[in-house]
Amino acid sequence: MPADYDKGAYPEPPRQTPAVDKQTALPNPALILSKLFYYSVDLPVTTFRDAVDSFRANNKSVYYHQKFRRVPDLIDCQEGDYICYYEAEMQWRRDYKVDQEIVKVIQERMRACHQREGASYHQNCGKEIQQFNEVTKNFQSRYGDLGAYASGRKCLMKQKERMMAAAQAQSA
Amino acid sequence: MVGMSVLRSAAAFAARLSPLKSGNNAANLLSRTIPRTDKVAVRWGHGKKLFVIKPSDYYDRRFLHLLQYYVLLTGVPVAVFVTCVNVFVGEAELVETPEDYEPEHWEYYKHPITRWIARNVYDSPVKDYEKMMAAIQIEKEKADTRLTQLEVRRHMRQKGDGPWFQRPTLDKGLIDYSPKSTPDN
Repeated sequence: MPADYDKGAYPEPPRQTPAVDKQTALPNPALILSKLFYYSVDLPVTTFRDAVDSFRANNKSVYYHQKFRRVPDLIDCQEGDYICYYEAEMQWRRDYKVDQEIVKVIQERMRACHQREGASYHQNCGKEIQQFNEVTKNFQSRYGDLGAYASGRKCLMKQKERMMAAAQAQSA
Repeated sequence: MVGMSVLRSAAAFAARLSPLKSGNNAANLLSRTIPRTDKVAVRWGHGKKLFVIKPSDYYDRRFLHLLQYYVLLTGVPVAVFVTCVNVFVGEAELVETPEDYEPEHWEYYKHPITRWIARNVYDSPVKDYEKMMAAIQIEKEKADTRLTQLEVRRHMRQKGDGPWFQRPTLDKGLIDYSPKSTPDN
C-alpha cells in the first residue's frame, strides 16, 4: 500500500473531538457496526495484503513508458520509397491509438462529472461536455469512416477531401 | 429367573389355548397394548418406489466427467502457477525513465509472465520492425530489378545491338568477295 506522509514533519493539530458523554446506557450501534466491519473485513484484508507485500518485497521490478521518435510523415516521403511509407504508416497507427485513448480519457472525465453531479449535470458539467463534444467532433472528422482497414494513406486522402470541400465552400 | 420360566410357560399355555389368534404370539403376549385404530400415524416418508423409464444418460455423464477431468488436468496446475506468480512475484510499478538509460524491450511490460515471454520467447519489437523493413527493401529491389529488366529488354529488342535477341547466322567470314565469272556464281 502506498506509504503515508511524514507525520513528524507535518504534525497533526490536537484533536478537538469532545469527550464521550453518554447519557444513555444503551450501546452505540454505529460503534458496534464499525467495530464489526473492522474485525470482519478490514483486519483480514489488511493482514493478507501485508503478507503478500512481504512475499513480493524481494522481487520488485519496474516498467517504463516507451517513447517513440518522430519520423517523416507520408507527405514527406519520396514516391516509391516503401521504407519511408512503412515508417510513416507505423507512426500513423501509433498516433491513431493515442487519439483513441485521448477520446476515452475525455469521455471518462465527462462520465465522472455526470456521476458526481447527479441530476444537475446539465448545468454544472458544461466544460467537460463542451470538451467532449469538441474532441469527438475532431476525431470523427479525422478518423471517422475510415473503417477497419484504415491506413495513413486513406486518412491523408480524407484530409485532402476535407481541404477540397473547405476550399470549395470558401470560393462558393 | 424363576419368574422368567413362569412367564414363558404362561405364554406357551396361552398359545396352546388359542393358537390361531394373532395376539397370542409369544413375542407380544406380555407387552401387547390395545390397538387404537382412530389415531394411526400417516407419513409420506418414502412413497411408493417407482421404476422410472428414461433414456440412458450414461454417455452424457461420462462425456462431462471426462471433459471435467481433462480440463482440470492442465487447468489446475496452470491456475496454481499463475496464482503463485501473482502472489510471490508481483506486477511491476510504473516509473519515469531515468536520463541516459535505455530500458530493455521487456521492461516496457507490467505483468511478470508477459515480461518473461517478451524476454525469452519473442524478438524485440525493434528487431521485428527492422526485419519488416528489410523484407520491404528486398521486395523493392526485386520490383526495381524487374522494371529495369523490362526496360533493357525493350531497348535491346528495338536497337538489336545488345546480347539479347540475337539470331544465329552464318559466319560473315565465309562470304566470298572475289570477283565471279557469271552473275549467278
